Amino acid sequence: METVLLYLGYFFVSLGAAFLFLGAFGIFRMPDFYTRLQAGTKSSTLGAMSLILGVGLMQPEWFFKTVIIIIFIAISNPISSHALARGAYKTHQKPLTDTIDAYEEVTEENKNKNEEE
Amino acid sequence: MRKLVILSLLLVLGYFLLNTFAGAEFGKDRKVLANYYLEKSPSELQVANTVTAIVVNFRGFDTLGEVTVLFLAATGMGTILLRRRSKHTGLNPMRTSPEASKIVQAAGKLLFPAIMILGAYVFIHGHLTPGGGFQGGAIIATGFLLLLISYRQFKVEHKYVTWIESLAGLTFVSIGLLGIVLGPHNSFLENFLNVGTLNELTSGGVIALVYIAVGFKVAAELTGILDTLVNIRETGDID
Repeated sequence: METVLLYLGYFFVSLGAAFLFLGAFGIFRMPDFYTRLQAGTKSSTLGAMSLILGVGLMQPEWFFKTVIIIIFIAISNPISSHALARGAYKTHQKPLTDTIDAYEEVTEENKNKNEEE
Repeated sequence: MRKLVILSLLLVLGYFLLNTFAGAEFGKDRKVLANYYLEKSPSELQVANTVTAIVVNFRGFDTLGEVTVLFLAATGMGTILLRRRSKHTGLNPMRTSPEASKIVQAAGKLLFPAIMILGAYVFIHGHLTPGGGFQGGAIIATGFLLLLISYRQFKVEHKYVTWIESLAGLTFVSIGLLGIVLGPHNSFLENFLNVGTLNELTSGGVIALVYIAVGFKVAAELTGILDTLVNIRETGDID
């Protein structure tokens, strides 16, 4: 049982390291802010979570603590990337290529609705 | 070309640094003072974290000076920026920037207690684990910064901040003075409590008490600094 847990832990740690590497690579490789944000935050969320889960599986007495850390990362990391993306959008950071801006359409509709009321 | 010159200069510098430090073995050849600290802090003071033992016990007077420096920095900053503080009350923090989204606000509410608990844990366990009063106080101030940027109407009451800061500083100095009265050698900031056993929360004597005071003081000071910074008028005209 312990060896199974140990190898499962190795698997999760290497998976997390691979995700983190890809994220770091993506930050270098991607052309503009939004794609870099995508590479940097999504992969770091998943990478850090599986890395910490792997550590928890290797050391079963730490498992409860690692679960708490994973919950904390699951809350804080996506929200910080959301705040970054929203800040970039509000300061008119343009994507490199032409895109469909669904958010602008929604906010325009809301504005019109508010004016009607 | 310029980059090449810089790179070669860095290489030369690195070579000389490597030459200097290559001879020193890591962890070996400790001098008298380092040996003293490393031997005394687990055996006599029962403190697991040697860094904390040095900072609070062996060099406690130095730490008092550091806390005072931080206090002076906070006061100086407040004095300089006071003229640029907004005269309006109510919706003042960062009011020219758009309000934080509902998601950030909800997450701020959710994460704030967790950050407080982490900060308190860090400064209460300063003598057992890495970290201490300064680090825990900084973490707590981060929690307040989260609320400051999430909610426009959130305001830090400077009256309470000043009270907490003053009381914490007073506690620090009082513990030091009690060391003169009760300590075995009658010197300032000396340990006068039972040292307990290694790796327990109650070990280390006065170190935990001092670090709790330092934690409160640093948290209050940094929160005051952050609140002052957030409330600067963004137009920049001084009148």
